[in-house]
Amino acid sequence: MVVQAFFVGVFGLAAIGFGVAVFRTASMVRSALALLFSQAAVGCMFLAMQAEFLGVLQIMMMATEMSIMAIFMVMFMMDPGGLGGMDMSHQKRFSIGAGAIAAATAISVALFSDWGPIVAEAPDAAMQTRELGFEMLGRSMLVFETAAITILTAMIAATAVAIPVRQPGVDTGKLDKGNGDKEQEASK
Amino acid sequence: MTPVLILALLTGAILFGVGIYGALSQTNLVMIMMGVELILAGALVNLVAFWRFLHPEVYAGQMFVLVVMTVMAVEMAVGFGVAIARFRAKGSVEMEEAGDLKG
Amino acid sequence: MSDLVFPIVFPLLAAAAILLLRRGAAILALAGVALSLAASLKLLRAIASGDSATLLLPGLPELPLRLTAEPLAALFSVVVAAVATCVLIYSVGYMKRESGLPRFFALMSLFVAAMQALVLAGDWILVLVAWELIGLCSYLLIGFWFQRPEAANAASRAFLYTRSADLGLYIAIFILIGAAGTSQIAATLNVDGGTAVAAGLLLLLAAMGKSAQVPLQDWLMRAMAGPTPVSALLHSATLVAAGAILLIRVAPLLAPNVLHAIGLVGGITTVAAGLIALAERDLKRLLAASTASQYGLMLIAVGAGVPLAALLHLLAHAAIKSGLFLAAGEFQHARGGTALERLRGVGRVRPWTFLGFALAALALVGAPPLSGFFSKDAVIAAALSAPNVAWLAPLALVGTLLTGAYLARTLRLLWREREEGESESRPVAGACWMGLGVWVLVIPAVFLGLTFGPIEALLGLPGPEAHGTTAMLFGLLAAAAGLALGWLVPAPRLLGPFHPWAQSGLVIAGGLTFWIGRPAMALAYGCQRLERGLYATVLSVGRGGLFIARGCGRVERGLYAVVLGTGRASLAVAHLVRVGDERRIDGLIFSLVAGVRGWGDRARSLQSGWIHHSLAISAVVTAVTLIILLSASLSF
Repeated sequence: MVVQAFFVGVFGLAAIGFGVAVFRTASMVRSALALLFSQAAVGCMFLAMQAEFLGVLQIMMMATEMSIMAIFMVMFMMDPGGLGGMDMSHQKRFSIGAGAIAAATAISVALFSDWGPIVAEAPDAAMQTRELGFEMLGRSMLVFETAAITILTAMIAATAVAIPVRQPGVDTGKLDKGNGDKEQEASK
Repeated sequence: MTPVLILALLTGAILFGVGIYGALSQTNLVMIMMGVELILAGALVNLVAFWRFLHPEVYAGQMFVLVVMTVMAVEMAVGFGVAIARFRAKGSVEMEEAGDLKG
Repeated sequence: MSDLVFPIVFPLLAAAAILLLRRGAAILALAGVALSLAASLKLLRAIASGDSATLLLPGLPELPLRLTAEPLAALFSVVVAAVATCVLIYSVGYMKRESGLPRFFALMSLFVAAMQALVLAGDWILVLVAWELIGLCSYLLIGFWFQRPEAANAASRAFLYTRSADLGLYIAIFILIGAAGTSQIAATLNVDGGTAVAAGLLLLLAAMGKSAQVPLQDWLMRAMAGPTPVSALLHSATLVAAGAILLIRVAPLLAPNVLHAIGLVGGITTVAAGLIALAERDLKRLLAASTASQYGLMLIAVGAGVPLAALLHLLAHAAIKSGLFLAAGEFQHARGGTALERLRGVGRVRPWTFLGFALAALALVGAPPLSGFFSKDAVIAAALSAPNVAWLAPLALVGTLLTGAYLARTLRLLWREREEGESESRPVAGACWMGLGVWVLVIPAVFLGLTFGPIEALLGLPGPEAHGTTAMLFGLLAAAAGLALGWLVPAPRLLGPFHPWAQSGLVIAGGLTFWIGRPAMALAYGCQRLERGLYATVLSVGRGGLFIARGCGRVERGLYAVVLGTGRASLAVAHLVRVGDERRIDGLIFSLVAGVRGWGDRARSLQSGWIHHSLAISAVVTAVTLIILLSASLSF
């Protein structure tokens, strides 16, 4: 228990720390990596709380996602290296206030609610996985399927959104347009 | 003896707060998405803590976690698709320049 | 049959031709009357040989017009035509210097036609029509020189007098037709009783008018303002004879009372007209008075019950008086007037005419063997043999005496020149024509007496009973006395105190002018005042009405103003209301709209288009929702 508490606490602090670091650094890559580590710390927390499957899942997924994110950041950011030194944030006070209030609310709820008896023992990983499987394909089948459909839809949607827009106004009637135009269009 | 539950909940709360700060204060779309990731991470932590310490026999909790993870992935995928489209259209993904829907 | 129509038709055609052609008036007129005379003579011959004829013409329903040829009618027809012919011959010369000849000759011809119709009429309707026609012609002819005021007045007066008396004729005719059922004269003469008396008296009235008997004698004297031929034809022989002719024709109808009345009227007229003639200062007026006097004698004869005597005297008088008038006309042209003073001694200047005049005058007086002697004789004899001889005879004798007196006076005045010296005489134009006309009449005047016997035989009317010699003696005595008095004694001394009265025409208390004229004028003035009063009343009513109307108008205008004002006030109020309403409501609405717009604008600011704002809003709203939900769940 104490050990669990210790690890949970440590990984928790790491998650928080890396999370803060995401927004404090100016470099994009570093932000992405910080996020990656934050998510990884969260995964470790899962592991510490004996949710092995979930923890592994988290770490795997987040690592991949963050890596891709890092690539995207480099693609899209104005200043990926963060060497410009611009403060790219707005409505700072409001955001800080909102975050603080949200955190405070959640903390107060966490501290002042009666959660009931704490269950000390948790099933082992094999058992968890088996039960999770039963749960997934049993009672939560609909949820599972919906999630699958949603992923499929999202894939299609993301692809559709990401397809480049075709140039508008393809002329077929104008005689004074030379072959060069046609070649240009053909090469698209 | 501080229950581990409390610790986890605290962590989740703070992650939630940081995530909100990030989502609201960043100008870049990708950064905003990062903030959203952090919010969802905080929620996940809470979920797992509740499953582990209050009802470990109810695997719906873990199911919930899977769903949230799915959502995170989906959201990132679609979001990056939008970001590509936006970048192609306007040349940047800075949200301060994205005032097209101004009423 | 056609002989009946011709005496009427020829002069009528002549009149129409003259009016149409306007040329050769004299010749056409002469032709007309000459042919009429020929036709009348032919008719007389036919009647004398025993034929009689009646001609029916279409007239009123059940009352056809009738022309009969009795001996009486034929005789009169001849007389009319003969006198007319002579007068028209004369008037060719008399009217030589005048203008308007077509009118003159046309009217004369028309008159002759009407007179012929009157004498030849067999029914009352035709008599009436012809009676009126001759009255009309008389009016038009007397007023021939209508530019002269005395001529126009005389014509109007003549017309009024005779027309008023014609009322008697109308009523008498209606009574007779009603009583007899037919308008044939011969049939109606059989009526007797009260109807006969009434009819007789009314017919006497008509005769008094036409024949200028007292009190209606004045018109004849005034009628002398017309041309002398007119006086000769109409007012001596024909028109004035119509009255006597009427009475002679209806003699069988007349009851004894009526006869008394007729005799009385005639007697008074004889004497009165004779006195007037004696005092007259104008030759033509003198002759007119004489005419009235002679017709009075004729009425005496009718009143005595011997219409034959009247008829004979009528015939004689016709010729005599016409001749006298025609001669007077010649004297008039010679001296330029008819005043006796002016005509003093004209006889010496125109001796032949004067001889004719003298012969005719003597005939009228009754000197034998002239025609007047026989006729006067008959009249006096009739008067002596009448039932009421007591006053008829003296009146007749006095009349004869007066006749002699004034005629002798006239002759004296015409022959003896004035003491101061010769009067101026002018040459007379057309003297041959005029002389011819005069002598053509004087000859019958002289010799007509010879025809009285055949006429008596022809007519078959009874003559006067007995008293023939007495009558002759008395008559001659009276005539001689009269002649002597007239020649020797000047009129003023003769009449004495009656002279001025006689000169004024024996006017009694102002005459008809006073007795009829003044009341009529007073009535007229009264009516005028009444009418003015009525008019004023009507006007005042009208003014009152107008006043009320004006008042109403003012009230109405006031009401109108009030209504208008109310209307305007309401309009103003409405306007205000509308404005206020509009402003308020509009204001409300617009303010509402503005408010909503404002809120919309403010809401718009929420939609900045920036993601971070949307995220911030989402965060806040989510927090608020969570709080609400949580508090709700906690409280329940």
